[in-house]
Amino acid sequence: MIGTVARIMWLGLWRDRGAIVLAFLFPPLLFIVFAEVFSGSTGEGLELNIIVADSANTPLTVELLTAIGEIDGFVLNHLPIESDESVSGDLESVLMESIRRGEADAAIWIRSEPNDDLDAEPPLLVIGDSAKALAAAVVLGRVQALIQQEFPVLGVSRAIALVDVLAGPYTDEQQQLLDELLAELEIESDADEPSMGAGQDGLIAQRMLQSPEGVDDDGGISYYAGAVAILFLLFTSMQGAISLIDERSSGIVDRLLAGPGGASVVVLGKGLFLTLQGLAQVTIIFALAWWMYGIDWPGKFGLWLMTAMVAAASAAWLAMLMASLCSTRQQAQTASAFLVLILSAVGGSMMPRFLMPGWLRDLGWLTPNAWAIEAWQGVFWRGQGASELLLPWLVLGGSALLAMAISLALSTRRSRI
Amino acid sequence: MTAQTGSAIVSIDTLRFEYPGRPVLRGVDLRLKNGELFGLLGPNGAGKSTLIRVLCGRFKAQQGSIQVLGLDPYNSSRARRAIGLVPQQIALYRHLSVLENLVAFARLAGVARHEVRLRAQNTLARCDLKSVADQKVAELSGGWQRRANIACGLVHEPRLLVLDEPTVGIDLPARLEIERLLTRLVADGMTILLISHDLEQVERLADRVGFLIEGQMDRIGPPSELLIEHFQQANEWRVMLERTPDTATVELLERMGLQAEAAAGQLRWTGRVQSDDEASARMQQLKRIAVREWRVRQPGLDSLWRDLFGAALEGEQHS
Repeated sequence: MIGTVARIMWLGLWRDRGAIVLAFLFPPLLFIVFAEVFSGSTGEGLELNIIVADSANTPLTVELLTAIGEIDGFVLNHLPIESDESVSGDLESVLMESIRRGEADAAIWIRSEPNDDLDAEPPLLVIGDSAKALAAAVVLGRVQALIQQEFPVLGVSRAIALVDVLAGPYTDEQQQLLDELLAELEIESDADEPSMGAGQDGLIAQRMLQSPEGVDDDGGISYYAGAVAILFLLFTSMQGAISLIDERSSGIVDRLLAGPGGASVVVLGKGLFLTLQGLAQVTIIFALAWWMYGIDWPGKFGLWLMTAMVAAASAAWLAMLMASLCSTRQQAQTASAFLVLILSAVGGSMMPRFLMPGWLRDLGWLTPNAWAIEAWQGVFWRGQGASELLLPWLVLGGSALLAMAISLALSTRRSRI
Repeated sequence: MTAQTGSAIVSIDTLRFEYPGRPVLRGVDLRLKNGELFGLLGPNGAGKSTLIRVLCGRFKAQQGSIQVLGLDPYNSSRARRAIGLVPQQIALYRHLSVLENLVAFARLAGVARHEVRLRAQNTLARCDLKSVADQKVAELSGGWQRRANIACGLVHEPRLLVLDEPTVGIDLPARLEIERLLTRLVADGMTILLISHDLEQVERLADRVGFLIEGQMDRIGPPSELLIEHFQQANEWRVMLERTPDTATVELLERMGLQAEAAAGQLRWTGRVQSDDEASARMQQLKRIAVREWRVRQPGLDSLWRDLFGAALEGEQHS
């Protein structure tokens, strides 16, 4: 008898192709995606977009930048240097703006020849985004490690030169000993042995991108408000959309289809509700972020509202599309769990996308999560205006319209042969 | 949209419909008169559900024509608004009260906002649902749910009510309540298309019935006329045996013109007798067999069903 029950279950699974796909294809797929996403967070396979500028442009700095470019996971984008920028310090603003716009995760600026003016500011400047503090820390750490391993002389010779300036010139004998020591360090470096303890004090400085004027957020709050908002928009929309399947099987849809409205009334009504429900949900999250963490919600309300509307509509209609495609509640429940997990993982709701491998980061642009998070980051962190937010709005709004059109077509097809 | 009693509210002419590679309706002709209760009968797979879907405008007639109040329901929302569909399932929002369901379905059927409350209250009164108006559907018994199911098909005051198995799965008192409701609706001028496998119920309620057989309407008319036409003056003779008969008994019963009813195994046998004398003679023959009960009665729609669809299909009327 136990065997019979098991056999009935097996036949049920075997004859439901959708269930087979969900049971055996989706789990390994989900594993691959999660493995890629979360293994990236350990640094292995990490791909960081770094904008670099070399104001010194000496053989040493060129060699240093080349070595930095060879660090695994660093993708360098060289900024052409205008002479007036390097003099006036505008270059730092340019680099910061590039990070603020999301074009780079961090920046490295070689401001001067490392062995030159010892009184000046540290010759290397790593600029990071406090919303991506981990990226800045990774860049700083890896550049420091590179210098220790590949350019140990750089730190020591700088320290030696500093002593020379502060304590008076070295004697010939002292100078000879120092030269021998530096040569020895070069040899050790060539032998690829880590040279521990080589001082880098005064060699590298770090600066974090500050929030725009009047914005208290350090980038993290608005990021996670957006990330959590779009995750739950998807989750609740999917749950709500499943009622379409319930109503189909209970005969309610039959009854409504016999009325004057037809299939479109059912689908449009549900989509409208899910959009409004999502809007209310997002409002609560951002109101909390404003009340508890001080993000400038009232000041950016218009831009926030527009983003919230298109994000809620996108999630709602994606959910309706899923419900229109599924035949049974069981299929829809499994598919919705899979979709929410995948979209949220790849789209940056579970961890920042800059910590993901490049291909996965690119894949993230296919999710509403990535666009919604970017748009809200744009509003609250980067201080972007309507013209700069137009692209995410168009993508989210367009995806909502496309999903709505397909949902309507599918529902009409189901109801009328 | 007014129609006089007796005039056709639904006209179906040589209607054809097929699913890909599978013809279902093969030239259906049917008229439903204003203010009548029409029983649509037929075995599973005969095309009843498809016919209802075409009638309600969900499917487009592929050949022939179908009109409700002179309009094609596929293209006319006015025609669809004249129809109230009551599906076999409890097609209600279970988390809403009966009144809330009525309001919702009235709006979805296109009733103007300012009329909705009045229509809902009228429907509650019409269907004797006032006592449970504020109760959630999920909390109601099966009988009340069935009545609420019908009420939601009535709330927009349609001219034609299509009922698919309205009393399936409920007890006798609840069934009788619903039958009384249907009788009142017809008396008020409503046209009802009733699909039911409860043939006794259809015989009691229907002004006319029609059998849908292999995609075509057959034998349309008042039940009494159809029965006389088919059985003439013959009565139905039904014999219940004490125990499963042996081979010799089966041969005897078959020689007497009796046939075993499939639904009852070989315990119940049915045949025809033309007169009281013939019935008396048969009773004498039965003395040799252990009979628990026998009766002679006028044949009903179930008898006609058995003749039309054979013993093998008999079980369907109870499904």
